[in-house]
Amino acid sequence: MSNSVFSVISRFVEEYRSSTPNKLKMIDAYLLYILLTGVFQFLYCVLVGTFPFNSFLSGFISCVGSFILAVCLRIQINPQNKRDFLTVSPERAFADFLFAHTVLHLVVVNFVG
Amino acid sequence: MAHLCLFSLLVLSLVLETQALTPTHHLTTTDVARLQAVLSQPFTDLKSAYYSVVGLSKLGIFVADADETCRFINSNLDPSSVESLFYAAEASQALSGCEIPVTNDTRDLLLATVSEDSTASQIHQSVSALSALGLPLASQEVVSALKARISKEDNVLAIILALQTASRLSQQAELGEILEEIEDLAARLDDLGGVYLQFEEGLEATALFVSAAYSLSDHVDMEPPLKEDQVIQLVNSIFSKKSWDSLSEAFSVASAAASLSNNRFHVPVIVSAQGPAAVSHSHPFLQLQVTDVLCQPLSSASVLVESASAVASKSAILSQAPFTLRDGVFELNFMASQPASGYYQFSVAITGDSRFVANHVELKVKVSTRVAINNMDLSVVDKDQSIGPKTTRVEYPTKAKASFMADSHQNFAMTFQLVDETTGVELTPHQTFVRLHNQKTGQEVVFVAEPDSKNLYKFELDTAERKTEFDSISGTYALYLMVGDATLENPILWNVADVVLKFLDEEAPGTIQAKTLYVPKPEIQHLFREPEKKPPTVVSNAFTALVLSPFLLLLILWFKLGANISNFTLSPSTILFHIGHAAMLGLMYVYWTHLNMFQTLKYLAIIGSLTFLAGNRMLAQKAVKRYSNYREYFVYLSDLFLMW
Repeated sequence: MSNSVFSVISRFVEEYRSSTPNKLKMIDAYLLYILLTGVFQFLYCVLVGTFPFNSFLSGFISCVGSFILAVCLRIQINPQNKRDFLTVSPERAFADFLFAHTVLHLVVVNFVG
Repeated sequence: MAHLCLFSLLVLSLVLETQALTPTHHLTTTDVARLQAVLSQPFTDLKSAYYSVVGLSKLGIFVADADETCRFINSNLDPSSVESLFYAAEASQALSGCEIPVTNDTRDLLLATVSEDSTASQIHQSVSALSALGLPLASQEVVSALKARISKEDNVLAIILALQTASRLSQQAELGEILEEIEDLAARLDDLGGVYLQFEEGLEATALFVSAAYSLSDHVDMEPPLKEDQVIQLVNSIFSKKSWDSLSEAFSVASAAASLSNNRFHVPVIVSAQGPAAVSHSHPFLQLQVTDVLCQPLSSASVLVESASAVASKSAILSQAPFTLRDGVFELNFMASQPASGYYQFSVAITGDSRFVANHVELKVKVSTRVAINNMDLSVVDKDQSIGPKTTRVEYPTKAKASFMADSHQNFAMTFQLVDETTGVELTPHQTFVRLHNQKTGQEVVFVAEPDSKNLYKFELDTAERKTEFDSISGTYALYLMVGDATLENPILWNVADVVLKFLDEEAPGTIQAKTLYVPKPEIQHLFREPEKKPPTVVSNAFTALVLSPFLLLLILWFKLGANISNFTLSPSTILFHIGHAAMLGLMYVYWTHLNMFQTLKYLAIIGSLTFLAGNRMLAQKAVKRYSNYREYFVYLSDLFLMW
């Protein structure tokens, strides 16, 4: 059982390494960074306490929001999805990403206190 | 049809009448005496002599030594001044047998003053002087002069003087327009709370208006356009002040009082009960004083009780019962109708003269009685009812000889009846208390005795139940019965018996301290909100480092993936975009530390729009570079078209 799981994982990693374009890999690295940041914040909250709660919430929401926006960017940039995003050029996707981030950070900084 | 109209009109008028005002302020006999005293002060000059003499004559009082006064007037008269002539003429007319010498010059001076160029006050003075001295005058000229002055001087006092002047003119003159001024002036009165009606110029103006309006109305024999309620409101305003600042104010009040008590149209009636409006068996007569505003009894009045009903039960006791006049006071023997004790609402009507205003009065009359206590039975009842109760009867005002014992096995009980002394009707007064007083410790406990459905009062003391009120202190308590009510003439405090109470588990605190209610209480220390417990700085710092650490990981990964800035074109839009973007991030930090949302949005708008424009250009250039392969661009366009 574990053997098949291990082989699936190694196959997946191999496929990923070879077929994913560099751009997407960079975004994936960014996603991993955001994920880890969010996890560490949550860990702090669980271990030490929820004070100050608003700061925790704003930081956590920031991570979650950034993750989602980055995922959207990744989907829109992926050349394999070009059919689904004919009106959205990669530049447009990036511009949307930046704008959404501005709004997200405005809210996050307001709430962090 | 006509009958129906008449009937409905009658009903309407009755309804309106019952809602009419009654005067809340009026002069009492002491006030009238005070007014006389003010007006009787020795006068210093001609003006004060005029006020005193004429004022007193309006009150029906004549100056003591008329000759002395006449000489004073003559010596202070200045024949060249219209004002002086006015005061002298009016004052001498009020005195009997006082003559002012009149020369042709005086007459010419007075006649010349009657013109449009003199003020209303001057016209008033000259016309009054001419009429008081018995000199002829041309009424029509005066009327036209007055009309001209009224339109020029539109103030209240001028119009009042015009009204006064018009009342001295011949009845044949055309006084119609001036008469209409009464209505205009009445419209200028300020209604204060529906109770007072007065000019903003003050009391004197209001009082002078009343006397001028009625003297002119009497002169032309036309009813003044003042409604009954307005007349009563004027009465309230004028007679609410009981001490007067100046002689002229006192004079104006005296003139108003004189004109209201003696004119052809409206005579306000003042009804007041003599003493408290209360009757009892010892004082069975309800006495009312019915006077005019000068406290003179109304001779032609007949007073009638239209209806009298009990306030509590609303049952009618009297209907259409007349008062009898005795020694200037109207009285009615109310006790003859044998009313039960309590409060009664009387509706009294004063008739006899069609001029009476406010002749329906509502009065609240109290009927008092004496109370007697019957069948006071004291008993000690065993709780388990094994031994029958021993009842002792006590007669008021004696005290029971033996004292009663009550401990935890027994209840002490008391029953009695409260009746009207004369009629024997059962009463339920407001206050029926049973007071137990411990003479040794000074402790006092009060209970309420309640009547049952048959109006028999019962009081039961259960020592076990009530030990908290007594603080479980055993001892001899003096028992008092307290009965009181507003309608009782003889409130009762009766020491009925002594009761020895025994409580279980006696704490015996020794002496009772009077409940310290008014001693300073312990100070309250305010507890400020404790700040929340924060984790130690080490922990926070460690986790901050931990949270920031993935950034390092990101940089490492990106480096490994081969991220570079080789495609970085140094075009202005690119540089501007990157600067703008960095500025936006910097703004976020500054927002966190210093700014508020509004300032941030302002700066963000500026930087953001710059960044957007630059970024748009930059990305467009990038896109163009990417689509440098035309074919790809064509494919892109065709796909776009297909999507449509």
